[in-house]
Amino acid sequence: MTAVSADGLDAAAGGTDRGDAGVDGTGREKAGTDGTGRGEAETDGAGGGESYRLHVDGFLRTVSGAWIGDSLLTVLRDVLGVTAVKDACEQGRCGACSVLLDGRLAASCTVLAADADGSRVVTVAGLGGSGLTRAVRAMFLAEGAVQCGFCTPGFVVAVTDLLTRHPDADEEEIREALAGNICRCTGYGRIVAAVRAVQAERGILPPGDTPTPGDAPSRPDGG
Amino acid sequence: MMAGGKSSAMFRPRTVGEAVEMLAAAHESGTAVALLGGGTDLVPALRSGERSAETVVALRRVLELRVRGAGADSLTIGAGVTYTDLDGWSLSPGLARAARVVGSVQIRNTGTVGGALGSARPGGDLLTFLTAADAEVLTVSPRGPERMPLPRFLADGLAPDALVTAVRLARPGGPQVYLKIGGRQAAYPAVVSCAVLVDRVRHRLTCAIGGVGLLPVRMGEAERYARDEVDWSTGTVSSSAARRFGDLVVEAAARVSPALPAGPRGSAEYRWHAAGVLAGRAFARCLHLTAPPVGEPARGSAAGGQP
Repeated sequence: MTAVSADGLDAAAGGTDRGDAGVDGTGREKAGTDGTGRGEAETDGAGGGESYRLHVDGFLRTVSGAWIGDSLLTVLRDVLGVTAVKDACEQGRCGACSVLLDGRLAASCTVLAADADGSRVVTVAGLGGSGLTRAVRAMFLAEGAVQCGFCTPGFVVAVTDLLTRHPDADEEEIREALAGNICRCTGYGRIVAAVRAVQAERGILPPGDTPTPGDAPSRPDGG
Repeated sequence: MMAGGKSSAMFRPRTVGEAVEMLAAAHESGTAVALLGGGTDLVPALRSGERSAETVVALRRVLELRVRGAGADSLTIGAGVTYTDLDGWSLSPGLARAARVVGSVQIRNTGTVGGALGSARPGGDLLTFLTAADAEVLTVSPRGPERMPLPRFLADGLAPDALVTAVRLARPGGPQVYLKIGGRQAAYPAVVSCAVLVDRVRHRLTCAIGGVGLLPVRMGEAERYARDEVDWSTGTVSSSAARRFGDLVVEAAARVSPALPAGPRGSAEYRWHAAGVLAGRAFARCLHLTAPPVGEPARGSAAGGQP
């Protein structure tokens, strides 16, 4: 056993930020008190691949024999057949594969699937058909925010995440929050208009406040 | 513990102690081990074949690493803290600002401080800020915990059986500004970045530039110039000093060796110039500029573009 000095962290003063994320108590990771054997490599006897479980859109799915280096995106699409996530850049740049991972927006191509063991994964298909998500979908259609549609699943997840955390985001905040999602068709004006329309429908924007998409946003990097 | 041949294994330690044991065991067995923080660097690199790993030690469940805290003089940030966790952290507005402008929401929610250090990408936002902040890196290995200055950590690299537990920096003693320039922030790392940290208590100004060398570099000459030029009782400096500060940074940037190979974005000359512009701007934002003497142009060569 290795000595780990308390010098490592001034833990007492800071508390734990979001210490519960990623440990949802389900799946194999038991919250037992025995320290022995926990965290041993869980290799599956047959193929040498990993076996783990994911809660995908409310269903418990078991993944066996996947390559250890597989991203969550690859496992969702190619192993579990969840095509609500789209595969484009595989570098965390385009946002087409956006999901909510334990409630936080993430690009599933940058998440190692085996590390998501026990996590809740929500794709656009699992957001539900009522409330905020219904409004986002309806306004994407009403405002013409969908053209080829490839980026749309990722955008709908990202917009739902934004409006959940920050219902009254202004246009600059909307553009900044959606910067991780790339759309090659719309030029973003229609997408921002759709977000503003959702806000208007929900009474967050005054009805007469006509959004003016297309204004140059200020650069968040100060450049 | 490890199966032989091509089989792969995933370790999910719960404590730093377990992580060190697993890392040491995997290392001894001779397999290629990768430490996994958020995965924003590693996972795409595994996919593209740029990196390979037979064994992955995933650190997400090590809650000890996800803590940030404050001592009397210092701030300690666990390696598992994400950029989103740092966004808006009132104890270090400068670090919070640097974290705020990393990538996209998706990347900030996932990427970690430990990953930024472990990957040590030349354009890494946090590295530039931490270089200016004289940060220390805390690591642990079977030989026990260790602390070292960031430059030494970056020069020596992480021992194969060690992991970063935290980074430590002094509590801010004045304004801190982080600026960068580059392509679409959410998709591409900065071409050039600059951090200026002012310590009104110790009468010090530090400046680091990223994107001209393989790692961020400190601008020693410009820092000494600022120390002598600033009126520390009021935090004011002449506006011509901001221009001179930027010029000194351009000169120093051009001397950095080994220089970062010119990429598709920005020749070496462009990056030196951008370093001077950003440094002059950050300098001006950190200090109160007094009006220039009559007859002198208001805008400096390198320090153009006021806040």
